[in-house]
Amino acid sequence: MDKLGYEVEKLLHHLEPVGLDGHHLEGTFALSNYTFYLVIALFLTLLFFVFAARKASLVPKGFGNLAETGVEFVRNSIVSDVMGPEGLKYLPFMVTVFFFVLFNNLLGLVPGGLPGTGTVGTTFTWGLFVFLTYNFIGFQKNGIAYLKSFIPSGTPWWLQPLILLLEVVSHLLRPFTLGVRLYANMYAGHIILGVFVIFIKIVFDQITAGGLVVASLSFVMLILMYAFELFVAFIQAYVFTILTAVYISGALHAADH
Amino acid sequence: MEGSLNVLAAAIAFGVGAISPALAVGNVAGKAIEGMARQPEMAGKIQTTMFIGMALAEAIALLGFVLAFVLQAA
Repeated sequence: MDKLGYEVEKLLHHLEPVGLDGHHLEGTFALSNYTFYLVIALFLTLLFFVFAARKASLVPKGFGNLAETGVEFVRNSIVSDVMGPEGLKYLPFMVTVFFFVLFNNLLGLVPGGLPGTGTVGTTFTWGLFVFLTYNFIGFQKNGIAYLKSFIPSGTPWWLQPLILLLEVVSHLLRPFTLGVRLYANMYAGHIILGVFVIFIKIVFDQITAGGLVVASLSFVMLILMYAFELFVAFIQAYVFTILTAVYISGALHAADH
Repeated sequence: MEGSLNVLAAAIAFGVGAISPALAVGNVAGKAIEGMARQPEMAGKIQTTMFIGMALAEAIALLGFVLAFVLQAA
């Protein structure tokens, strides 16, 4: 049992952000190993669309087709469904968010790689960015009337302070939940994969009949969980984008209700 | 001894806090399937709304997750 604890400790230590030179992080803006994968994901997103757009044609082939499927998915099942026709103005932003988050998540599944979304600082910053964006859009579209949306019309006067407080708190919680949801899913997924690997490793250090059963079960579970993590990488990118769309849509239609 | 109590508190905070979001997410998914089975032509829209509802219910579990980390560090 002690061995398991030791190995889990080692795994958690491995997932901690360290400086690029392998030492502990110093200072607030130090570059970590997670930052490295973040930059890779940034270039992947750029290159993906640059390559796809290079040979643009009416009937896309190969790579261009893949990119177009992705863009169409974001347009049809996220932007059009949630924001309606006026949301198409924000399609470039939504596509960028979707693919950047997706590439970050997928990098974590490359053996030896880490997800750029695996630290809470990164994802919380994105949540904060989305928060600023949708509030900016709300003020831009509705002017000062945007503030009225915090109190729905028809609320009795004695309920208004309470509703206002609840609305403000729920708005302030949005960047936290956006960030923590993405981070928690990526981090927890990696720990689960790591724990199954640890089970297999412990058995091979000291082979017993019962241990071999555990190891083979863990191996099957490892493959299944890996496939599931691939699914989670897509789902979390989708959820992050769709919540961004919901928030922007709420800010756009703030004056309606 | 103090440290182990913190770990216990963190485990309880997340474990108990995850019960109601789990029920909520299950309820959302179940009702969405019900809706899709009744009106398959609305499946796309229902699915979008389902994911939004799930994400909002999940947020409560995430607050417990953060609280667990905070308690462990405290």
